[in-house]
Amino acid sequence: MRYVIIGTSAAGLTAAETVRQFDRQGELILISDEALRPYSRPMLTYLLGREAGLENIWLRPPSHFHKLNFKAMLGEPVAQVDPQAREVYLSGGRVVKYDRLLIASGAQPRMLGIPGETLAGVFTLRRLADWQKLEADLPAGATMAIVGAGPIGLKAAEALRRRGHRVILVEAEPRPLPRLLDDTAAKLLQEHLHGLGAELIVKARPAAISGHQGRVRSLALADGRELEVEGVLLAVGVRPRLEFLHGTPLAGNAPLTVNSFLQTQYPDIFAAGDCAEAPDLFSGKPVSYQIWPAAVAQGQVAGANMTGASRRYSGLLAQNSISLHGFKIVSGGILEPGPNLTEVWCRFDERQGVYRRLVFQEGCLVGVTLAGEVTDAGLYFQIMTQKLPVKDLPVDPRSPDFHPGKVWG
Amino acid sequence: MKTVIVRPERCVGCLQCRLACAVEHSESKSLVGALGESIPPKPRLRIYPGRLNYAFPNKCRHCDPAPCQQVCIAGAISREPTRGVIEIAPERCINCGMCAMACPFGVLVYAAVWQVPEKRAVALKCDQCPAREQAGRRPACVEACKVGALTYGDWQESQEEKGRALAQAVFSGLLAQPEVVPSMPETIRLWRQLA
Ligand SMILES: Cc1cc2nc3c(=O)[nH]c(=O)nc-3n(C[C@H](O)[C@H](O)[C@H](O)COP(=O)(O)OP(=O)(O)OC[C@H]3O[C@@H](n4cnc5c(N)ncnc54)[C@H](O)[C@@H]3O)c2cc1C
Repeated sequence: MRYVIIGTSAAGLTAAETVRQFDRQGELILISDEALRPYSRPMLTYLLGREAGLENIWLRPPSHFHKLNFKAMLGEPVAQVDPQAREVYLSGGRVVKYDRLLIASGAQPRMLGIPGETLAGVFTLRRLADWQKLEADLPAGATMAIVGAGPIGLKAAEALRRRGHRVILVEAEPRPLPRLLDDTAAKLLQEHLHGLGAELIVKARPAAISGHQGRVRSLALADGRELEVEGVLLAVGVRPRLEFLHGTPLAGNAPLTVNSFLQTQYPDIFAAGDCAEAPDLFSGKPVSYQIWPAAVAQGQVAGANMTGASRRYSGLLAQNSISLHGFKIVSGGILEPGPNLTEVWCRFDERQGVYRRLVFQEGCLVGVTLAGEVTDAGLYFQIMTQKLPVKDLPVDPRSPDFHPGKVWG
Repeated sequence: MKTVIVRPERCVGCLQCRLACAVEHSESKSLVGALGESIPPKPRLRIYPGRLNYAFPNKCRHCDPAPCQQVCIAGAISREPTRGVIEIAPERCINCGMCAMACPFGVLVYAAVWQVPEKRAVALKCDQCPAREQAGRRPACVEACKVGALTYGDWQESQEEKGRALAQAVFSGLLAQPEVVPSMPETIRLWRQLA
């Protein structure tokens, strides 16, 4: 059996390791256009902020591939996949045949499509090469605009502040982390952003980046304001990397929809991670949260199923953890009140700076936001994942007694 | 694997284990020294009021597979191969909070430690006292417990089986594979026996 995996990050690496647990003999080929052994993308903002060094980003020791008998084709972009011929064509001209293929090609930053995005001083942050470009091109002490106050924009803001840059965050919605936080939690976060010394402009849409002699000089907003900046970091979300499916029946479906065995419409082609859209825990409808835990969990299921197992993936809670200057916010599950909503419950302890927001639906806890104190997050997550009715719990999640002693004791 | 076995029904809530744990994880490893350290050492287990009026010692169970390890974006959490213990490397931890979302037992706390004084906080939990284990001694909390609520030993075959079942249950709960999702009472029953 010959397994081929496109992508050697969270999903691809986990899948390869899982394949090896079940099949010690099969040929296992890992392809990536990055000529690097697996590293942690989330560490990039920590590299940028000089909180971590390069030695801290590698996910496995150098001998790992050899030990597990993985054949690595690194620095090799995939140009095309042919599902009928069961072949993968590399840009370099090589052809790789497969019996089972996993597409774990992840995602890449979205651009805004505004004028000036190709100027020197416009950055994104997804790959190690992006960090290297920032290190090389970022003028010391430059004023930076970060477009998008989502998780990556916020972490980048913290990093750039640590390096002594003036930072202006530009967010289209009325608050930071608009999809994860309500007003109370966002206000807490904003206080910490302020403490960091980052400026935040909300309800603002970039219209154009202008430059002088090929370098960024300002960012114009749709309302006419003009921000004088020397650099712009775009953090406005990602889109799946699936160019190599062009011309196949799988094209035009981004993210790539998979069934609960993580198979595409071709049973010998699987997909996992940021490039895939797998059934949701609650609704069963295809979703893509583009988070690390989902990539790992899907990699495990896809890897097992590639070897002939029939493990079912039935979803993961949407989950995010943001730690800004030591202040933590965790959110998971359904946060927007839906049609079957029964209750949103909030408690804010202003003195302690601790906030809890719980969303209930049809007698079950389905969503949680914790700010300031997150130790018990996993307790809530466990109850949500197992869809346990509140009435069957030893203690109500709203109670101050909701802690490991009462839940598990 | 030798591990700390918890018997909540024996716990009287005296907190001696917490004190011993904090001292063991201090730089000086002595009570007097610990009191004077600039980064106060933190205990790695907590005693909660449980149900049925028991006190409830809560600590890392070194699950296998370990959900916290799987979600660690910094590659800071690993299983020590010979002791079988789940460890967090403070020099790699980035205090991101991912592990708190994954741990169904709520054992992680975030605080400064003397090993990395430059960091505001890192994730902390039971490491089963590596220096003591290497020297053939019992973990500090076990040594401090005078009522037999914390003991140290090898699992019996059957308990090992239950341990695996539990870890599997907890883990699959996180992954939500319906064919193996246990009901809450089963999880709790297993967990009680395990504890
Ligand atoms: C700065 C930053 C911070 C983040 N922080 C968090 C966080 O705190 N928590 C969290 O849960 N998630 C976080 N994420 C998201 C997380 O990193 C992703 O969800 C995760 O990396 C997805 O893994 P993946 O394996 O699906 O894809 P990727 O990590 O995107 O990897 C895809 C791989 O496929 C390769 N590839 C793609 N196309 C081709 C091709 N044509 N030919 C050859 N190779 C190809 C790529 O080079 C890459 O190696 C963060 C991301 C970033 C960028």
